[in-house]
Amino acid sequence: MDFDLENPLGNFHDLPCDAVPSLFLIESDHIPPPNYCQSFKASDFDISVRRDVVSLISQLSCTFDPVLPYLAINYLDRFLAHQGILQPKPWANKLLAISCFSLAAKMLKTEYSATDVQVLMNHGDGGAIFEAQTIQRMEGIVLGALQWRMRSITPFSFIPFFVNLFRLKDPALRQVLKDGASEIILKSQREIKVLEFKPSTVAASALLYASHELFPFQYPCFLRAISDCSYINKETVVQCYNVIHDITREEYESVLNINSTSDTPVNVLDEHFLSLESEKTNGTNVVTQEQDFKRRKTTDYGNNRTVPFSHFHQC
Amino acid sequence: MEKTGVLSAKEAFEKLEKVGEGTYGKVYRAREKATGKIVALKKTRLHEDEEGVPPTTLREVSILRMLSRDPHVVRLMDVKQGQNKEGKTVLYLVFEYMDTDLKKFIRSFRQSGETIPPHIIKVILSICPSIFNIRFFFVHLFLSIWLQSLMYQLCKGVAFCHGHGILHRDLKPHNLLMDRKTMMLKIADLGLARAFTVPIKKYTHEILTLWYRAPEVLLGATHYSMAVDMWSVGCIFAELVTKQALFPGDSELQQLLHIFRLLGTPNEDVWPGVSKLMNWHEYPQWNPQSLSTAVPSLDELGLDLLSQMLKYEPSKRISAKKAMEHVYFDDLDKRHL
Repeated sequence: MDFDLENPLGNFHDLPCDAVPSLFLIESDHIPPPNYCQSFKASDFDISVRRDVVSLISQLSCTFDPVLPYLAINYLDRFLAHQGILQPKPWANKLLAISCFSLAAKMLKTEYSATDVQVLMNHGDGGAIFEAQTIQRMEGIVLGALQWRMRSITPFSFIPFFVNLFRLKDPALRQVLKDGASEIILKSQREIKVLEFKPSTVAASALLYASHELFPFQYPCFLRAISDCSYINKETVVQCYNVIHDITREEYESVLNINSTSDTPVNVLDEHFLSLESEKTNGTNVVTQEQDFKRRKTTDYGNNRTVPFSHFHQC
Repeated sequence: MEKTGVLSAKEAFEKLEKVGEGTYGKVYRAREKATGKIVALKKTRLHEDEEGVPPTTLREVSILRMLSRDPHVVRLMDVKQGQNKEGKTVLYLVFEYMDTDLKKFIRSFRQSGETIPPHIIKVILSICPSIFNIRFFFVHLFLSIWLQSLMYQLCKGVAFCHGHGILHRDLKPHNLLMDRKTMMLKIADLGLARAFTVPIKKYTHEILTLWYRAPEVLLGATHYSMAVDMWSVGCIFAELVTKQALFPGDSELQQLLHIFRLLGTPNEDVWPGVSKLMNWHEYPQWNPQSLSTAVPSLDELGLDLLSQMLKYEPSKRISAKKAMEHVYFDDLDKRHL
C-alpha cells in the first residue's frame, strides 16, 4: 500500500469533474461535527483554551511544514468536539498539544526530537516534563476519540484538483496560486468560524480569494470552473468566501492598526455569482472553454510575484 | 479524562478458534459478546519504542478506517488497544468475517464442483435434468453469471481504493474474500492487515506474490502507479476463466519469461523506456500470441478487456474505473453491486 498523503488527488490531472474520487464523500468524517462551533460561541473561556492549545501547537511546529500544525489542530478540534473542553490546567493543555503534534508528525512521517519538543514547550520555565509513557497514553486517548481516522482530509487535499479545473498551463502560475491559497487556509484555521465548512469548501473559497488577489482578470473564469463542479455547493462557497474575507481583512487592519468601518463593502463574490445566474439560458450553463493564457516573456520572472500579461481572454 | 464503561478487547469478544497466524500476530474467528456477531479479530503487538504508536501502524490503520465504507473492501469495524500478560500494548483490529476467499473458490471448481451452491443446483436441475450435462452446463452458467459479477466487484473495489490515492500492490485470489451465499467479493489485506496472511509452507510450489506481479515491478521500476494493481486484476480475470494461474512463475526471471512467451518480449516500440529499467537484460525474443490461446473460453469482449489490463506500458493499461465502463459488463445487472 502506498499513497501520497499530501496530494491524494494528484493522479487525476486530466479527469473531468464528474470523475472526482470519493474524498468529497467522506471528508465530513474528518472534521468536527456541525455543533462544535455553536458550543464555542456559548463560552469565551472555551475559545481562550482552544486558542492557547493552538498557540502551543504552533510553537512546536514553527520549523516544520505548515501542513503539520494544520493536521494537529484538526485533531485538537475533533478531540474537543468528542471529549468536551479541557479542565483549566496548563499542564493538560500542554500534554494535549504535544500529543496532537506527535500524532500529526507520525502521519506525515516527519522526524522530530522528543527532547527538543519538551524543551520548547517549557521555555525553560521549569514546567512539567512529560514521561514518554504519559504522552503515549494521551496519544491513545486521542486515537480512541478520533476512532483512528487520522488521515484527516484537509483543504490542502483538494487544492490540486481545483487548480487543475482552472486550466492554468504555466507551472509557476499554478504554484503562486497554490501558495496564496495555502497561506489563506493556514491563517483562517485559527478562527472558529471557518470550522463550520467542509475542507473542500474551504479549499475552493481560499483559491477563489487568492485568484481574485493575484489574477483579477482571470477570476471570472476560475469562478465559473468552481461553480460548474458538481461536488461544490455554490451558496456555501459564498458564505465561506465571506468568512475568509473578514478574517483576512481583520488581520490586514490589525497590522495597520486601522479601525474597521461600519460600512460593509459590496461582496465581490455575490456580484459574480449573480452575473453567472443571469447568463443561464433555459437552465443550461454556459460551457467553460479552455483559455489560452499568453504572456510576455520577462527576465527574472520567477522572482516577481506580480504576473505580467500581454493577452488574456474573457470567458 | 479516561472514559469509563469501554470494554477491553478481551472482555468484548469471545475467541472461537485461531484461523491464521503471521509475522506480526494471530487471527481469530471471534464472537462479539454484546451483539453475537461473528468477526475476524486480528491481534498484533506494537513494536513500541519511546515514540509510542509506530507511524506505519498509525498510517495504515487510518487508511483502513477510511476505505472501510466501500462494500467491496473488507470492513475494519473497530480498533481496540489493550495490554497483554507482559504489560505490552496490543492492538486488536476487528474486521467483518468472511467465510471464504477467491483462491478457495477457484480451487473448488477444479475438483468437479463439489461445493456447488445448492440454489445453483436447483436451477441446473430445473433446466437440465440429465446428470450427464450438469458439469458442462454449470461451467457455462458460472462463466456467464458469476464471472462478470465477480470481476465487476473487483474492479469497483480497486477503483474505490485508487480513488483514495491508495494502491494495494498485492492483489491475488487469496486476498479477495467472498461470501458464498451472496457471492459478494471484498478486497482484504491492505497494509497492516496483510501481515496476517497464513504463512506459506517452505516447499510449496505456489509463490503467491509473483504470479500477479506487474512486469514493471519485476523489472525493477521504482515508481509504482495504479497500473500495477490492474495487471493483477487481469491475471485474476484469466484465472477465474481457466481455473489455472495465467503466469505461474517460480522465480522472478521465470515470471518474466512466462509473461514474454504469451505477450511477446517487450521492446522500445511497444513499451518506451523498458530497456532502461534496472533489471532489464537480454531475453529470448518471442512474438506475441493471441490471448485466446491462453484463455480459450473467454468471449471476444472479455478478451478485449483482458488485453487492456495486460498492456505492457503502465500508462496505457486500463484503469479500474474505465474497466467498470467496458462493454463486457454491459449486460450485467449491477443494481445490487
